[in-house]
Amino acid sequence: MVIPRKTRVYIWFRLLLLQASWNYERFQGVGFFYALLPGLRKVYAKEELLAVSRKYTGYFNTHVYLAPLVAGAVLKLEEDHAAGKLEQQVDIKDFKEMVAAPYAAIGDALFWGGLRPLAAAIALFFAVKGILWAAVIFVVGYNLVPAWFRTVFFVHGYRRGIKSVEFIQQHKLPDWAIHTKEAAIVVLGGLSAFMVFSHLTELQLPSWLGMLTLIPMVMLGLVARKGVSTLLLIFITVGSIFLLGLFWVDMTQLFIMLGMDL
Amino acid sequence: MVSGLFIGAVISLICGLDRVAILQVMVSRPIVAAPLTAFFLGDAMVGLQVGVMVELLWLARLPVGAAVPPDDTQVAIGGTTLAIILGERLGNAGLELVLLCLLVAILLGKVGQYFDHFARQHNVRLAQKVDAALDSGSLLMAELQHLRGLGSFSLAALGTYITIITGGLLIIPILLPLIQQPLSYSSSWIELALPLVGVAVILGTVNVSRAITLFCASFGMAFLLMWLV
Repeated sequence: MVIPRKTRVYIWFRLLLLQASWNYERFQGVGFFYALLPGLRKVYAKEELLAVSRKYTGYFNTHVYLAPLVAGAVLKLEEDHAAGKLEQQVDIKDFKEMVAAPYAAIGDALFWGGLRPLAAAIALFFAVKGILWAAVIFVVGYNLVPAWFRTVFFVHGYRRGIKSVEFIQQHKLPDWAIHTKEAAIVVLGGLSAFMVFSHLTELQLPSWLGMLTLIPMVMLGLVARKGVSTLLLIFITVGSIFLLGLFWVDMTQLFIMLGMDL
Repeated sequence: MVSGLFIGAVISLICGLDRVAILQVMVSRPIVAAPLTAFFLGDAMVGLQVGVMVELLWLARLPVGAAVPPDDTQVAIGGTTLAIILGERLGNAGLELVLLCLLVAILLGKVGQYFDHFARQHNVRLAQKVDAALDSGSLLMAELQHLRGLGSFSLAALGTYITIITGGLLIIPILLPLIQQPLSYSSSWIELALPLVGVAVILGTVNVSRAITLFCASFGMAFLLMWLV
């Protein structure tokens, strides 16, 4: 039995709840079962449906935006299996587990490591300028890409079944992840320069001083690379600036007093 | 004040669920959550200010596998709510108050990780109940167990929000008179430093060869262009 289009749309929407019961034992396992269930209901009858369902409640973990690709492929394989069209050597559970981890690594690098910092850096340019639409720019700009992946990859997963692996290979996503991360670094460099320059201009201080910002930033970056927590870095930085502020005021007052005395 | 806290709680719940449990359309990011909260509380610019300061801080902490990153969503929402509510109550909406609210929220927000951890731990029981439901032949019960997980994540989000708000309302009115004047000497520099710390952490942890070279080149070029123009 072919899974109707309406059911596939319903499954797509259910995939938006994939992580509702995320837990340390099975990660997205229960969510994956929850999303697939309407499709499995169309393919299997009562007893067989329960047996197949048990197969999907176990451990499963992949990137949330690439899960639709796995779900689409698995639905196609289940459909073929029920129709007796599936080759004997293909184990659907093995397929699901084999693709989940590499897809998770690709998705983490591309979306969390690359696209999110890039979109945030672009939106922050607007936010620093005091433009409230920055939030909307971030949400819309960022979500265009995941929405495309969630939809198109689900469709192709269902269309291609086991060959969906070739489909994802064609897109060279690991290369895109590196390019996106590099773009994010470049935009963050521009954003930092913009923030520092604006601040110095506002305080009517010499602009060239801003270039010195690179020294503490690179130092903090190297410290962070050693595994020092961000929370600690925040409080060390804030504490240092606070104390320097007090010191500066005291010194200024001292010079004024000395000047008066002289 | 009560209505303001309630609005903050509703936004905290919605954004908290977006963070892990549903959608992941990034309304949970501080750059969105903070202005959204502030907009409903009547001072959107405070939210934008908080959003800029918090957005980059933990962006390098990826939600990979079982890792639970710090809850910057609730830090942003809690910090914004505190700044606006206390600003009205203490008659002070200056940068010093916003900074103090944010720093207290950052500190108290650490508990968010524990609440998140408990929620994920609690959901293990739901997974076991799914097995039991399937054994008893009830697919509907199994489906419902999954949806019950939303309750755990909602409680985790609200727990963090309530901790930040309660702690903030108790600490800040005492701390502000003591620290406001000394903080005013360095507040604008701290406002600048917070996003830069976030950028530095991203630089240090991003898996890109020559990240520092790329960053310095981009920073230098942009700076030079702004100086020349």
